[in-house]
Amino acid sequence: MDDPDDTLVSELREYFARVDPVPLLVTEAAKAALGWRRLDADLAELLSDSSDSSVEAEALAGVRGVGAPVRTVSFGAGEVTVELEIHVEGTRRTVLGLITPPSVSTIEIETADSAAEVATVESDGLGRFRAPLPHGGNIRLRVTSVDPGPPVETSWITI
Amino acid sequence: MTLEALIRSALDGDAAAWNEIVDRFDGLVWATTRGYRLSAADAADATQTTWLRLVEHLDRIQDPERLGAWLATTARHECLRLIRLRGRELATDEADVFDAPIDQAPDRRLLTRERDRALQRALASIGERCQALLRMLAAVEPLSYEEIGAALGMPVGAIGPTRARCLEKLRRSPELVSLGMP
Repeated sequence: MDDPDDTLVSELREYFARVDPVPLLVTEAAKAALGWRRLDADLAELLSDSSDSSVEAEALAGVRGVGAPVRTVSFGAGEVTVELEIHVEGTRRTVLGLITPPSVSTIEIETADSAAEVATVESDGLGRFRAPLPHGGNIRLRVTSVDPGPPVETSWITI
Repeated sequence: MTLEALIRSALDGDAAAWNEIVDRFDGLVWATTRGYRLSAADAADATQTTWLRLVEHLDRIQDPERLGAWLATTARHECLRLIRLRGRELATDEADVFDAPIDQAPDRRLLTRERDRALQRALASIGERCQALLRMLAAVEPLSYEEIGAALGMPVGAIGPTRARCLEKLRRSPELVSLGMP
């Protein structure tokens, strides 16, 4: 006789395969991910993300709107840090950024969707920049400074 | 091909090798994100972030044989982040597999539809932790206990007993009792 637990798990397996298969678009996006690999830039790893702090998260979930804290995210690659504030307004996002050490840089914000849009902005002499984006999604920033050295590219984040 | 060889080829830009890695693990990543009861759209975002993260870190994967656990951990992280970011009500604002009415595909036989509805209601009654565990155990390519531990942040030793308890709860739910399921 089969183990009844195993029989029930098999039943569930068939159920999930029927009602919740991996969507084709999800698999396609996963396969396309390799195309986002860049070898010519230093990866700036995610150092902190205020959405990982549960206190603020509770405030975010509970309050929302006026007075809700703004999400802040920081990345680092060696000496260079990129700090972001993500402002959400409906579907639109505004990214305020600060690059340290401060430098005049070109910042390309890539969105990992099929349109592969790139928004390009410049930072001022204090390393500050502002980028309005029409919608959220997975983004990363590529920072090319006027100073010599390879560009810096941040890890992906969902905004 | 071993995972190590696939990773090496993918690092050389071999799309076929990368696609095979995706084919081996996309069920695992999807089951993990769905286990967290994210809407289909959020689950798709979290899944994509997970794969983009793997591409970023492909040259730093220490132990290729544990790639499944690495992906499960990463997916879990992205799910928790999205849940915190969006708030519970937004994370589940869209029909999901546990709440949504089962669609009525014409080729689906009546009996199967009835069983699906009963399972859906029964699953909804056993608690989120149990739902997530069973979603991962019953993935088309089932997650190993190590991977489930990584996906749920649960000690591996607790998975067997929790599995038994969750299945028992499911079996005792009125929906399944009335259907005479195993």
